[in-house]
Amino acid sequence: MNAVTDQLAPPILEVEDLRTHFFTRDGVVRAVNGVSFSLRPGETLGIVGESGCGKSVTALSILRLIPRDLGRVVGGSIRFEGRELTGLDEQEMRGLRGHRISMIFQEPMTSLNPVLTIGLQIAENVQRHLGLSKKAAWDRAVEMLSLVKIADPHRRVHEYPHQLSGGMRQRVMIAMALSCDPQILIADEPTTALDVTIQAQILDLMLELKEKLGTAIIMITHDLGVVAETCQQVIVMYAGRKVEEAPVEELFDRPMHPYTRGLMAAVPRLDGRLEGGVRPRLQEIPGIVPSLTAPLPGCPFEPRCAFSTEQCARHMPPLERRGAAHDAACFEVDRVLEKSLV
Amino acid sequence: MSAYILRRLLATFPVMAVVAIFVFVLLRLAPGDPAALIAGDDATAADIANIRTRLGLDLPIWHQFVIWIGGILQGDLGVSIFSNLPVTRLIAQRLEPTLMLALATLIVAVSLAVPLGVLAAWKAKSLVDRIVMGFSVMGFAVPVFLAGYVLIYIFAIQLRWLPVQGYKPLADGFWASIQSLVLPAIALGTAYMALIARITRASMLEVLSQDYIRTANSKGLATERVLLLHALKNAAVPIVTIIGIGIALLISGVVITETVFNIPGLGRLTVDAVLKRDYPIVQGLILVFAMTKVFINLMVDISYAFLDPRIRY
Ligand SMILES: Nc1ncnc2c1ncn2[C@@H]1O[C@H](COP(=O)(O)OP(=O)(O)OP(=O)(O)O)[C@@H](O)[C@H]1O
Ligand code: SF4
Ligand SMILES: [Mg+2]
Repeated sequence: MNAVTDQLAPPILEVEDLRTHFFTRDGVVRAVNGVSFSLRPGETLGIVGESGCGKSVTALSILRLIPRDLGRVVGGSIRFEGRELTGLDEQEMRGLRGHRISMIFQEPMTSLNPVLTIGLQIAENVQRHLGLSKKAAWDRAVEMLSLVKIADPHRRVHEYPHQLSGGMRQRVMIAMALSCDPQILIADEPTTALDVTIQAQILDLMLELKEKLGTAIIMITHDLGVVAETCQQVIVMYAGRKVEEAPVEELFDRPMHPYTRGLMAAVPRLDGRLEGGVRPRLQEIPGIVPSLTAPLPGCPFEPRCAFSTEQCARHMPPLERRGAAHDAACFEVDRVLEKSLV
Repeated sequence: MSAYILRRLLATFPVMAVVAIFVFVLLRLAPGDPAALIAGDDATAADIANIRTRLGLDLPIWHQFVIWIGGILQGDLGVSIFSNLPVTRLIAQRLEPTLMLALATLIVAVSLAVPLGVLAAWKAKSLVDRIVMGFSVMGFAVPVFLAGYVLIYIFAIQLRWLPVQGYKPLADGFWASIQSLVLPAIALGTAYMALIARITRASMLEVLSQDYIRTANSKGLATERVLLLHALKNAAVPIVTIIGIGIALLISGVVITETVFNIPGLGRLTVDAVLKRDYPIVQGLILVFAMTKVFINLMVDISYAFLDPRIRY
C-alpha cells in the first residue's frame, strides 16, 4: 500500500462502460452492466462484491475468455496501454494473454491440467511468448518455481498437479502467470479456496512478487480483509455495476454506499473459521438480489437497503463524485455518512 | 510404470486360463457326436468307435483336457476333423487377410473419427457438428452387409474404381492389397467410426468446459495446442476404451464383411468350421479371438497409464 504506484503515470488499463451479457434460454443476463475503472502501472486495484455480482465476468471480459456461445462483451471499451482490446482479432488477443496480461483463477484444484507436468505448463507459456528454446523455457520454469518458494524445484518441475497441495498449486499458477513478466496480473479470488493459514502465505507471496516485479494487480475478492491488506484503490460491485470507488483508506474511513457498509458489517471476525477452514462467502446482507435478466427501473440495492426512499425504487442513482477521489452511486450518501460505523 | 505393466500382464494369465477351460467345456457340452459326424451316414458302429479312439474322444474328459492344454502350450491346437490339417496351419493361412482388414479398418476409423469428434466438439452446435453427428447416427444404424453391398454397387460396379470382391495378399504388392481392402474396411468401419466419433465428441465437450482449458486459453496458446494437447489428452481415456471395445465388435463384423466381400480370412474359416462342427478349428479360433481381446485390453490398460498420470492401480 505505498509509493510503488506512480500516480502521474498514465493508466495501463482503462475499462469504460464495460457491458458483458450472457444469452441464455431464460433471456439476456446482464452480468456486467456498465463498469468503468482504470489501473496504473504497479497499482493494486481491488474489486469486491458478493458472489454473482460480476467480478469474474469483468476479469474474463478483459482477456476475452468467455466462451463465445455463452456470452460476450456487448459494449464499452477496454484500453491496454492505449490500445483498444475490443477491436483486436483473436490472434492478437492470444499474443497478449499470458504475456502482457495474465490471470490466476479461483479454483487452484482444477485450474491446472491434470495430465501435464507443471513444468510443461509453465514452460509452454514462456516458449509461446518469449520464443525461448525448450531448454531455456524449462530453466525458466524451474526459476519461477523457486521464485514462488516451492522447495526442490528441479524435482517438482516434473510432477503432476495431483502430487501437489492446493496451496502449492496456487503457487504454480502464480509462477505460470508471472513467467512472462506481465504488466497486469488479474487475480480472481486467488485465496478463497485455500485454508486460512495458506491464504495468508499466498497473499504475502503475491505482495512480495509485486514489489519485486512491479506488476499491476487486479485483486478480485469478496474479502474486505484481503482488500485492506493488498489494495490501493477499491471498486465495489453490485449486480453487474460499480456502486462505489475510492482509495482504500478513504473507503474504509467513509464508506458511502449502504451496500459497502453491509459488506463491512458482514466481514467475518478473524477467528471466524468455518468448517474446513474456509471463510464464509459474503451473503449476510438480508434481502433479495435483483434479477440480472429483468432489471428494476430503480436502484438495484433498493429491496435490501435500510436507507431507501421512494425515489430509489423509481430512479437509478447515477455514479457521482462525492468526496476526494470518492465516487458512489446512491441518492442518500449524506444520510449514510451521518450514521457512524459500528 | 514398468511394475504396473508387469502387473497388468500377469493379470491376463488367469483370464486366459478361464477362457481355455470355458472353450473346452463348451464344446464338449455341445450336442451332436463329432465322431458320428465325420464317419458319415453309412458308417458302422465300429467305424465310429475307431474315429473316436483316433480323436481321443473315448478318454475321460479331464484327460482330454490335459492333452488339449498341453498341446496349446506347445502351440498345437490339434488337427481339423475334416481336412486332417493342423489347426495352427489353417489359422495361419487365413490370418493375413483378416489381420489386414482389421488393421485397415482400425486405422481408417480412428484417424477419421477422432479428428471429426474433436472438430464437432470444438464447433459444438455448429453446422459442422450437426453434419458429423448426423453421419454418426446414420453410420451406426447401417448394417455392415448393407453398407458393403451399397459400396460395391457404387464404387466397384458403377464407377469401377475398386475391385468388387476378393482379397489380394501382400505378396501381390502393397497397393493391390490395399485396394482390395478399401471397400471392406469402410463397410466394416462405418459403425465403428460413428461410435468413436460420438464418444470423442462427448468426451471432448466435457473436457473443454473444464477450468484447465480456460487456463490454457489464458496463456494465449494456439487453438491446436489447446485442443490436441490440453483437451484431447484428458479426453483420451474414454476414447481409447471405446476403441478397445470396438475391436471386439469388429471381430463379429469381420465374419459378415468377409462373407460379403468374399475374403478368405478367419471369419470365413469360423463360419465353415461351425457349420461342419469341426471342433478343433472352432476351439482354436475362439482361443485366438479371446487372446486378441485380452491383448487389446492389456494395450488399453497400459495406454491409460501413459495418458493419465493419476492412474496407478
Ligand atoms: N455462463 C453463464 N451463463 C449465464 N449467466 C452467467 C454465466 N456465467 C456467469 N453468469 C452470471 O453472471 C453473473 C456474474 O457472475 P460472476 O462469475 O462474475 O460472479 P462473481 O462476482 O465472480 O461471483 P463469485 O464470488 O461467486 O465468483 C452471475 O450472476 C451469473 O449468474
Ligand atoms: S440509492 Fe437508495 S436504495 Fe440505492 S443504495 Fe442508495 S439509499 Fe439505498
Ligand atoms: Mg468469481
